[in-house]
Amino acid sequence: KEAAFNLSLILKEEMKNTSWIRKNWLLVAGVSFIGVHLGTYFLQWSAKQSVKSQSVIKRKNMSHLEAKKPSLCESEPLASERFRTTLSVFKGIVSSCYGPTGRLKQLHNGIGGSVCTTSQSSALLANLSVTHPILKILTTSLQNHVSCFSDCGLFTAILCCNLIENAQRIGLTPTTVIKLNKHLLSLCTSYLSSEVCCCRISVDFSSTHLLLCLVRSILTSKPACMLIKKEIDHVSALILKAFLLTIPENAKDHIILGKSIIIPLKGQRVIDSTVLPGILIEVPDIQVMKILPVKKSDSLKVALFCSSLSGDLSDTGEGTVLVTYGVSLENAVLEQLLNLGRQLVNDGVDLVLCQKVIHPSLKQFLSVHHIIAIDRVGVALMEPLSKATGTQPIGSLDSISPNSYGSVKDLRSTKFGSKHFFHLLPNEATVCSLLLCNRNDTTWDELKRTCQTALHVLQLTIKEPYILLGGGCTETHLAAYIRYKICNEPENILKDNGCTQVELQLIAEAFCSALESLARSLEHDGGDILTDLKYGHFWSVQANSPSVNWQDLLSRCGCGLYNSQEELSWSFLRSTHQAFMPQTCLPHEAVSSDNNLTLDCFTSKISGLQVAVETANLILDLSYVIEDNN
Amino acid sequence: SERKSSPTTYRERPGLPASSPLLPLRPSPPRPIPAALNSSRRDRKPPEPWGLWLLRALQVAEVLETIVSGCLGPDGRQVLCTKPTGEVLLSRDGGRLLEALHLEHPIARMIVACVSSHLRKTGDGAKTYIIFFCHLLRGLHSVTDKEKDSLVSKNIQTHGRYWKNCCQWKLISQTFLTFQTQILDYIVDHYLSKHFLSVFPSPTKVKTLCRTSLTFLLDAYFCGRIGRNNQNFISQLTSDYFFKCMACESGFEEVFELVDDCFVELNIGVTGLPVSDSRIIDGLVLHRDFSVYCPADGEMSIVIVTDTIQPLFSSSGSEFVLKSEAQFQKSQFWITERTKAIMEHLQNQNVKLLLSSVKQPDLVIYYAGLNGISVVECLSAEEVSLIQRIIGLSPFIIPQASLQSEISNPALVKFCKPLVLRSKRYVHLGLISTCSFTPHCVVLCGPVQGLVEQHKDALHGAFKMLRQLFKGLDLNYVTPAGDQNYISDPFTSKDSRKNNQLPEIFNDSIQRPDRDMIVKNKNEGAKTETYLKVYSNLVVPSKELKTGTPGSTPKMISTDTYQTDEIVRYLPPNKTRVIDDPEPLESTPLANSTTEDTKNEISYENLKVTETAFKGSILSVGDESPDTCSSQNYCSSSIPAGSVLPVGGNFEILLHYYLANYAKSCQQSKETMVVSMMIANALLSIPRLLYKAKKGNNSFPQIYVRAVHALQNNQPVLSSHTGLESVAGKYQLLTSVLQCLTKILTIDLIINIKRQPQKICDQDSEDEL
Repeated sequence: KEAAFNLSLILKEEMKNTSWIRKNWLLVAGVSFIGVHLGTYFLQWSAKQSVKSQSVIKRKNMSHLEAKKPSLCESEPLASERFRTTLSVFKGIVSSCYGPTGRLKQLHNGIGGSVCTTSQSSALLANLSVTHPILKILTTSLQNHVSCFSDCGLFTAILCCNLIENAQRIGLTPTTVIKLNKHLLSLCTSYLSSEVCCCRISVDFSSTHLLLCLVRSILTSKPACMLIKKEIDHVSALILKAFLLTIPENAKDHIILGKSIIIPLKGQRVIDSTVLPGILIEVPDIQVMKILPVKKSDSLKVALFCSSLSGDLSDTGEGTVLVTYGVSLENAVLEQLLNLGRQLVNDGVDLVLCQKVIHPSLKQFLSVHHIIAIDRVGVALMEPLSKATGTQPIGSLDSISPNSYGSVKDLRSTKFGSKHFFHLLPNEATVCSLLLCNRNDTTWDELKRTCQTALHVLQLTIKEPYILLGGGCTETHLAAYIRYKICNEPENILKDNGCTQVELQLIAEAFCSALESLARSLEHDGGDILTDLKYGHFWSVQANSPSVNWQDLLSRCGCGLYNSQEELSWSFLRSTHQAFMPQTCLPHEAVSSDNNLTLDCFTSKISGLQVAVETANLILDLSYVIEDNN
Repeated sequence: SERKSSPTTYRERPGLPASSPLLPLRPSPPRPIPAALNSSRRDRKPPEPWGLWLLRALQVAEVLETIVSGCLGPDGRQVLCTKPTGEVLLSRDGGRLLEALHLEHPIARMIVACVSSHLRKTGDGAKTYIIFFCHLLRGLHSVTDKEKDSLVSKNIQTHGRYWKNCCQWKLISQTFLTFQTQILDYIVDHYLSKHFLSVFPSPTKVKTLCRTSLTFLLDAYFCGRIGRNNQNFISQLTSDYFFKCMACESGFEEVFELVDDCFVELNIGVTGLPVSDSRIIDGLVLHRDFSVYCPADGEMSIVIVTDTIQPLFSSSGSEFVLKSEAQFQKSQFWITERTKAIMEHLQNQNVKLLLSSVKQPDLVIYYAGLNGISVVECLSAEEVSLIQRIIGLSPFIIPQASLQSEISNPALVKFCKPLVLRSKRYVHLGLISTCSFTPHCVVLCGPVQGLVEQHKDALHGAFKMLRQLFKGLDLNYVTPAGDQNYISDPFTSKDSRKNNQLPEIFNDSIQRPDRDMIVKNKNEGAKTETYLKVYSNLVVPSKELKTGTPGSTPKMISTDTYQTDEIVRYLPPNKTRVIDDPEPLESTPLANSTTEDTKNEISYENLKVTETAFKGSILSVGDESPDTCSSQNYCSSSIPAGSVLPVGGNFEILLHYYLANYAKSCQQSKETMVVSMMIANALLSIPRLLYKAKKGNNSFPQIYVRAVHALQNNQPVLSSHTGLESVAGKYQLLTSVLQCLTKILTIDLIINIKRQPQKICDQDSEDEL
């Protein structure tokens, strides 16, 4: 169109000037008209051709297997600028999340979809997409640790980053660094698991005091749950209660813990959360209206089906099945289902649960006979249901052995918020339901993750009945211990590893400063970190405070065990001070009385320490990276 | 002075600068000719002159060498490979690295193919392969450069010249082949074999393994395969695993075979735990959970099925006609009843565990649960075959008619219980083995999957290596009958008369006691008796010397284990007498020619040989033909099973020494001499790399000089390492490198084609049908 318009303009101009054109305007107009049309035709034709050839090329590519591209090989990857910047960015992310005052991270994909606000390593690592191969090793290692132990993910991440950075700074050969790091690690673990260690508390299960402190510390360290003090107390009590409900009453030589099922109730107040023994099954409200709970005896007979009761045909084999005209298999199957229903009625079953779908006719039949039928229970609930009711999941439609029925003590229908539930109260079971409320989806998700972590940590604690002091105290104490050991008795390590005293000092300093800077990253508000020179604990002080009278400025150490009124002397954590042997005795009365201790899970912290050092060693040992770009 | 002692070995090679951040898989800046690995030869029309061809192959090999040499030996470091799927893998395994590189250059692809076929066979030595190969090419290249200078400069490079060149290269490759098939075996058998140690503590026919020597072997193996901080732990784990698996002392070959074949089923990888949590579990662990689990105590019977137990309406190829609804219901009912009957029948036979290779219907699971039978479904074919191998049980076939018959050979299980590893559930079976393998599983933990995979690979490779070690290897070669003087050791041939073979045996015998003592010292009180087996084809086909304590008199035993000749000639009594009294023999006129200056002289000659002699050989290649057929003497011998040498380049230095001597004495055919010299020099590259970082007394020149000195004085070669490595593996490596080189040398032109080379196969015709 534009071309034609231009042409007409030109024609107008020409017409003014030349008389010939004006005389033969009809001819000129005709020729230009034809020309314009021919031009557009050719344009279109060529465009079509190009599209065609492109599609031909595409088809050709599809039919041929493309040759593999050669990989990219990078030597000394740790020295590259790319790795350093990536690592420092990653360290920035994880260390800013650490601790009760940690900053939150908002994760979203930029094209809508849910937003995740978190400061937890599990959510953070699962959502971060890492492309640098070495960082990928680091993150997968952290994720594996978190999925094993739930706790101490950020601890591991920050420690690992610190170790790598420090090792690169001192610039010794990787062989020496790896060997000595391993040795220092074994020094740490053997100290932490020894009896003399004074940041380890053995758990007394006769009181819930320490366990409650542990759960509360976990809840406090997750600021994204948005809980106030009162709510933290409430939820930690619930979590501990839920955990205690999963412990069987008459335990034999080995305990098999039950399961606590977390049920979401979003939009309610946190204070409304509760824990119930037994299993809650959510049902649409219409069904609840029909239920007529008739209780014949003190327990209800339960049948649990794992096969579908919807009337579909089962596997008929590899051959063909020929059905004569007029034979309705649907009717036959339905007849079979109703027979089953009759048998259930005869056996006096009160409650029928089905993993899959129950045919409406069967449901109708059962409800006529006052049997409650709940279908679509789902595979996740099958195991707890089967355990709690003592049933054998039934897979047959024809005959049911009476052995496979189970029983529950009671069945109630309850309502929480806007949801209706059946509440199965088993006779004697280790299953409980934790109804968890929070204001919105994001905070609920965070709270759920925190609850799972806390439950897992409690399970780990029952396996290995020790707890470590939290709040950075374990880290500073450990660093002080290692400094002292290296200063005063380096002979053993030197003899074993064949390295010089200087190398050992350098690497031990790097290791200790990695631990201390891990403790320092608990502080996010610009405050200063001090350590006392008696216990080696962690003390934080507000920013820009005059360093005259520490005793009045400080109140309690990180874990809350010691207060500043004792005769202590302090030093800045980053400054160099005389190596000292931290005092190795634990004030037992303080431990058993104090309600505000900050505690950490022993098992996951030890494992986190090991994983951090092992992963750092692994990364420091790399000499090449081969990237397959296919 | 060290440099003077062996000048050829100290030529600095123009390697890649290690500091270059990106290795030149793409064209590298410091190289004069670009495209080291990625062929750009598509556009090139005229065929390249042969020298360039070789140069290109050399460049390819050098790039590979740079990557691989970083991982070699105890000080090697790790390589991180990323897969296109996003997985990351840690590796020090040469074969895996080469595969991960996805090389494009045809020569590179050929090298990689050769390496991986070698690896499939032996499971070890990929890195050594590349380094050795590269040095051989370098040797060839330096020879061609010289040749070009002197000869080709006058000629214009024409096609005619090119083809002619190719013919000569073909001849050279043939020489390599002859070397590999004839000379190498001869040298290994005649000279090298006296240095072999054996992993078996006693030379009896019943071979038993001792833990110490196995530990030495495994330590050395894992040194080169996995990260430094886990080597000792994994090595310990492997040897524990092996000894736990071994039911009786003698059947260890079977154990190695089974573990090598079924290693995937015998290990479990667990991520997220520290490596030190790895352990060995008694019994077999299946990588899946119970479909239904019924706790049971005591021994129980086990049944394997490969089909669904529940009868189906119709089997394949048949048709089931449904005429009425009642018929359908009846058949459904019959199916249920039948399934119930089968499961009850199994219960009556005390079957408590049902293993199935297919998924069983809900009905079967239900009745199994009712009858107290635990069920594990969906077992892989490999798992089923492993279980069958261990307990010797054939699958249970459901009888068509009556269920009265008893199960023919019920296999028993000690226990079966769920095993939880990192919140994943497994089935743990205590199988009662009927073969020499006691089932055990190894749980490998690690913080990342990549590390677990690396350890798995290393463990598998170790078992492959051990399996290979305990197979004897045949050596076949041709000895020119009248030429005894020629081939034998120059020192002995100088000093002892060939017709009288007595002194030679003396020499061997004298040194034995002290050699044994040294072995003992090395083991440091470990209660191993290391025995040296010495095979000498000259007098007896095989004789073994046993020295129990250092002070006792040597005793000669003649066994027929490895003998291949028909006539067994026992040693005449007077020889034994001489050996009993070793004092007068210390002054055998052997030592007088072994001084420092001789060594220097030899080395100088070596240098001269490589530089000058090849000219002559290339010129004279055409007119020499093997004419010694009439006087040839076919010999066959073997490297005995379990032969080992200390690690740290011992094999290479020894072979280098004997090859160099052979080349010196072999005046007859020049090209053989040049080739042997070239191989001898290339062999030294490996110990040189191994000791690169070492200083002082442990530096390579020191070690080399010490070894040569010891050899010349007929003293035992000392090694500072405690590790051991398989001789057969090394020998196979050498031969396959030579074969690969021959293959590359015989190619004269690479033609780039657009399509895949068409495969000739019979499947096409089947498809048409």
